[in-house]
Amino acid sequence: MLSYCPSLQLMRLLLSVCCSEVDVLVRFRYSDLECDYINPIDLCNRLNTYIVPEAAVHAFLTALFLINGYWLALLLNLPLVVFNVKKILDNAHLLDATEIFRTLNKHKKESFIKLGFHLVMFFFYLYSMIVALIRDETN
Amino acid sequence: MASPPPPPPGTAPYGDPNQYAYQQGYAQPDPYGQQQQVPPAAGGYGQAPPYGQQAYGQPAPTPQASGPPLAAGPAPGAHGGRGKRRGYAEEQYEFGAGANAGLTPAQNPAYASQSMGGYPNPQEQQQSQFVSPMGGTPPVMGTQGGYGVPQGMSGAGAGNIAAGGYEPAGAPGMGGVTQSFGQMGLTPAGGIQKVQSLNPLFTTDLMQQPLNVAELEFPPPEILLPPNASLTPSPNSNCPPQYMRSTINAVPTTHSLLKKSKLPFALIIQPYTSLHDAEDPVPLVSDTVISRCRRCRSYINPYVTFLDHGHRWRCNMCNLTNDVPQAFDWDQAAQKNLDRWQRPELNSSVVEFIAPQEYMVRPPQPLVYLFLLDVSYSAVQCGLLATAARTILESLDRIPNADKRTRLGFICVDSSLHYFAIPRDSSEPSMLVVSDLDEPFLPIPGDLLVPLAECREGIENLLGKLQDMFQNSQNGSSCMGSALQAGHKLISAIGGKIIVLTATLPCLGAGKLDNREDKKLLGTSKESALLQTANSFYKSFAVECSKNQVSVDMFLFSNSYQDVASLSNLPRYTGGQTYFYPGWNATRSEDAIKFAREFSDHLSAEIALEAVMRVRATTGLRMQTFYGNFFNRSSDLCAFPAFPRDQGYVVEVAIDEALGKQFVCMQTAVLHTTCNGERRIRVMTLALPTTQNLSDVYASADQVAITTFFSHKAVEKTLSSGLEQAREALQAKLTELLITFKKELTASHVGAATPLSFAANLRGLVVLFLGLMKHVGLRKSAQIPTDLRSAALCLLSTLPAPMLIQYIHPKFYSLHDMPDSCGLPDPTTGEIILPPAMNLSSERLAPFGCYLIDDTQVQFLWIGPQAVPQLVQDVFGLPGVEHVKVGKTTLPHLEGPGSEFNERVRAVVEKSRDHKSKKVGSITVPHLYVVRGDGEPSLRLWAQTMLIEDRTDQGVSLGQFLAQLKEKVNNS
Repeated sequence: MLSYCPSLQLMRLLLSVCCSEVDVLVRFRYSDLECDYINPIDLCNRLNTYIVPEAAVHAFLTALFLINGYWLALLLNLPLVVFNVKKILDNAHLLDATEIFRTLNKHKKESFIKLGFHLVMFFFYLYSMIVALIRDETN
Repeated sequence: MASPPPPPPGTAPYGDPNQYAYQQGYAQPDPYGQQQQVPPAAGGYGQAPPYGQQAYGQPAPTPQASGPPLAAGPAPGAHGGRGKRRGYAEEQYEFGAGANAGLTPAQNPAYASQSMGGYPNPQEQQQSQFVSPMGGTPPVMGTQGGYGVPQGMSGAGAGNIAAGGYEPAGAPGMGGVTQSFGQMGLTPAGGIQKVQSLNPLFTTDLMQQPLNVAELEFPPPEILLPPNASLTPSPNSNCPPQYMRSTINAVPTTHSLLKKSKLPFALIIQPYTSLHDAEDPVPLVSDTVISRCRRCRSYINPYVTFLDHGHRWRCNMCNLTNDVPQAFDWDQAAQKNLDRWQRPELNSSVVEFIAPQEYMVRPPQPLVYLFLLDVSYSAVQCGLLATAARTILESLDRIPNADKRTRLGFICVDSSLHYFAIPRDSSEPSMLVVSDLDEPFLPIPGDLLVPLAECREGIENLLGKLQDMFQNSQNGSSCMGSALQAGHKLISAIGGKIIVLTATLPCLGAGKLDNREDKKLLGTSKESALLQTANSFYKSFAVECSKNQVSVDMFLFSNSYQDVASLSNLPRYTGGQTYFYPGWNATRSEDAIKFAREFSDHLSAEIALEAVMRVRATTGLRMQTFYGNFFNRSSDLCAFPAFPRDQGYVVEVAIDEALGKQFVCMQTAVLHTTCNGERRIRVMTLALPTTQNLSDVYASADQVAITTFFSHKAVEKTLSSGLEQAREALQAKLTELLITFKKELTASHVGAATPLSFAANLRGLVVLFLGLMKHVGLRKSAQIPTDLRSAALCLLSTLPAPMLIQYIHPKFYSLHDMPDSCGLPDPTTGEIILPPAMNLSSERLAPFGCYLIDDTQVQFLWIGPQAVPQLVQDVFGLPGVEHVKVGKTTLPHLEGPGSEFNERVRAVVEKSRDHKSKKVGSITVPHLYVVRGDGEPSLRLWAQTMLIEDRTDQGVSLGQFLAQLKEKVNNS
């Protein structure tokens, strides 16, 4: 069955790592801003380049779950996809250099939650990959 | 006429200096003694003999006050003088002698005694203070070496470390006379516990004692610092409230206490109090010796301490010991020793340093003004182009140009860009038209931005011809966004100011906007979307401008929707200002004069360039949030491409660590280039005592500063969440404060008659918050056009505190019965005396009266429908009230006998506009509208929205508001 194909599982794993990486980076940048190592204009310019790709990668990953009929993972990922899509539709996904200091706490919390989510999902994918590998072996 | 009328509310006695007793009485040995010196303020006007005693509760036990109260008797001869004002009312109504006779007379004495009873007997409090230490502050045993040293007194006696500088003679009977502690240089030592007295807390019942509006003018609660906190006994050692004031003048030592108090901790900063330096000189340190702390970078100030025989100083912010620079005591110019104690930075809390080379990233830039003039059909037709060109022409001499480097440039904008090249060698300017809006380029490299001094003739020539050039323009569109980009390109190498004058919605090129106003959305929750930026260009471009030291000012004139909400973003993040003139037309001379005067003043203001502002504070305090028109370049640095002189800023302070010191300092530094090419730093240092008591925090809270803070906060909330949320947040905050006060600071009351108690110094907060909620920027209404709202929000978040308070809570004067001295210059100061301000309630509007309502942006001259012909004749020179024309107007100058009342009214109107007496710099010249009580309803309703204590269709009256609050507080 396709959904248990280990190579696909590996791809998921890597994509999930990508997403978490982006969040870790975002988190570091926010702390940099707080310590005045970076100015808000540069920060927003740099981070804004990652926001849409990250959402796209995540949406692609979720689409794979849908195609493969991997329902549990789909269910877990859907809320974040909806959240991202809504933000992009509201045109509120990009960071605004003029408001960044007032909204920093919100952004920090958001990136923290996202990071946690991606980490949990990473281990979930790892687990399912190992399960799939073992099945592969036994078959 | 013969018997004095009962005291009308809101008249002179309320403004009596004795009212300050709760704030100031302690420094004076006998607050009652003053009563004798107070002259009868209104000369026989509403002072009943028993008044003096009613006013102060019990007769004071002091011998001075037991005599016949002087202030109570009517001044002899007052009736014989100009009694005209009484006559107005008497002709119509038999009773009373005029003053506010519209009220039932029986109401008045009760009102007066209630309201005056609100102040507790100061004597009582004074005694209790003598006995017990108020704040429970820890005793100081001469630990801070510097305290005991009478350095300031002995000149250069810094090294004189008298550890136990104890003067026994000073100790007994010192009591609460804190002021003299500082003067005597007394260090309490040994077993004597130091009594650090802070302002005592007085409680009033908001339901029983209506606010006396004169209280809003009171100075903030006194800052009572521990003795010898400052190096020198100079009276200027602490920051005057017009420059910097705190919401709480006693800082809680811990974050939890601040949280418990629910009060905000914020600084209200206004670095400049006038448009020109000459009107408000600040001590200048011109020898470029700037001593700063190595660690926290604070500037040396009157609160540091000198160590090691004056060779080193300890920073009052972070306690680090720093070396005193060699040149500190040396006068370079005269080549001789300098008396350190004469240095301004040790004597005065507001100083300006001339900065040396290290403070410059590039040579000081010249002043640059680039005018973007709208030449589309509507701008030419309403006379904007002609008026603007003429005003600039006439103001050329007023533009600061001391160093002859000031440069000007002009771009005219319709659907294409019209550049003007003004060559130095010819007086004939040439026009270059660029219609490529996608890539706005500069047609020629030079001559577009020219020095005023060298090309004066060419500039004058151009300005004279502008109107003729575009007279027949039929072009109805504007590409202002692209023009801004082009202008930015033109001046970004130098930086400077772009002044936009436009009457058209930018509908072409970059940053184009649509007419998105939908009348159906007004008053709904969707309205707040209209108050936000429609096009992200206006934010990203603002950031770009800020980076290149370009500031943008907007003068907006549209007759239809202009999207002030989007356009105002450019000034907001670049240190500019948005000026909105709805329905402006130059054919009305009032409109033309208003704009010309304001614009000319704007050009003449000595703005600073390339400025940054930073606030530093004692360790443990952190600047958290910044409000105002600037860009936050880093977490604690505000960047201003141009620093205006007519704005205020708010900084919220957080307490990160427990404060161990007896007092804390906060220092604002504005590094800037003056408009004549000098790099300078303006430093303001504010010291505040700390406390561990909640009651001290409340007793030293400043209602004006608190309202200013919440005004900024409400604007931010409106833009981020919505109007409804902003109003709710305000009301919730007020309720929270009242509940906290009730729970923590009042004895429990049982029974139905629970009072709504609050601190006496915060009494005005309820009315001010109500005024804020009913303000045109925040009011619940489906009638207010979005542009008006946005413009009001801009003002609510930029006006300096004194103007902002009047903008929220307008001044209301009764003119027909003003005391005889009003409208005439004060014999001692020469200032025009204003009538006493009244509460903003329509019950004060008598049908025969004449009133002035002034909110700093507009003035209403209200004339009642039953005004007697004599009054109308005296004010307007017209035979009867039906001849008075309503609307925008200027008061006529009447000549000849009997014109002195007209003169006085004009003087009052003029004085009410005066910014200097409010200690603010501003260009605003308010419109004067004449409103007839029976005249055009829309104008009348507009004027009545200023009367915030009234009930309106969508807003509650003050009484209802108080009842709501009381219910919530009692249910909590």
